[in-house]
Amino acid sequence: MVIAVALDETADDVRPFTEGVSFPVLLDRDHVLAELYAISNVPTVVWIDENGAIARPNSAEVGTDMFVDITGVRPDEHMDQVRRWVQSGTLPSDADTEIRDLDSDEIDARLAFRIAVHLRRIGQPSAADWFASAVELAPMDFTVRRAAMPLQGMDPFGDQFFELYAEWKSAGHPYHGIPRRR
Amino acid sequence: MSTVTVLMPHETIEVTGQCVDDLVLVDRSVLPDVLGWELKPQGLCRDDECVPVRDRELLLHGDAVDLCAAAAAVGVDSMLAEDTDLVALSVPTSVRSDALKGRRAPDFVLPDLNGEDHSLEQFAGRKRLLVAFASW
Repeated sequence: MVIAVALDETADDVRPFTEGVSFPVLLDRDHVLAELYAISNVPTVVWIDENGAIARPNSAEVGTDMFVDITGVRPDEHMDQVRRWVQSGTLPSDADTEIRDLDSDEIDARLAFRIAVHLRRIGQPSAADWFASAVELAPMDFTVRRAAMPLQGMDPFGDQFFELYAEWKSAGHPYHGIPRRR
Repeated sequence: MSTVTVLMPHETIEVTGQCVDDLVLVDRSVLPDVLGWELKPQGLCRDDECVPVRDRELLLHGDAVDLCAAAAAVGVDSMLAEDTDLVALSVPTSVRSDALKGRRAPDFVLPDLNGEDHSLEQFAGRKRLLVAFASW
């Protein structure tokens, strides 16, 4: 089964993506999942077995080929791997990859982000300073820097995003998850 | 006494206390609710487990306890927004390292789009694809 978790601020942000979906879709306004599982970008998929063990850790997988030109990620291979795992328990060879833990700045960035979203909800202008601190602490973390964009009235597909994307690419596309074959 | 807002990973609560410089001074009685650990003569304890507190001076300030120091002693990071009497606490480091190194999927409770809570544990016994996504 699929359990989808949206790192978003409101249910209305998420609904356009979940029409006709029959699996649970949960809302994670405070990015608990990004901290618990060291998630640094979306989409990130984690395979969890019947006993609660992680069968295959964080990987960037997609359900459609909408962004194939940008990401080079095709959905078919992952879907085949999932089918083999569900039917026969077979795991792909990258399933035992160990995921890098968050460093102390990345943890602090998540705490600063949580303070920022809380202050924003209660209408405190100092929220902006906390978003800035969070981004400064983890500038390559999309769950911090890109997630903060719409919350500050920026377009998450606008100039700031392309700036982030270029920086991230020249930094060697850091990601807490299974490295993509390129 | 004033109140301090504690942003915990799964909930936000108000406790009696105050932020002084970089300290969050609270009554020791709030520690079990906030951290899951209580202060005893032998250290910070949870069930049968105790973490010795090396320097009680750093932790205790008169009758109050520094919440940030107590959190650090049990592997929880904290960040203080002093001017708004707000402190954010991380999940314990051990929870994430059990996930990354020990391959145990940490449980969580989150609401669905209608506000009804669900946990990962609730779907135990099935293979689960946990998909983190976002509108941004």
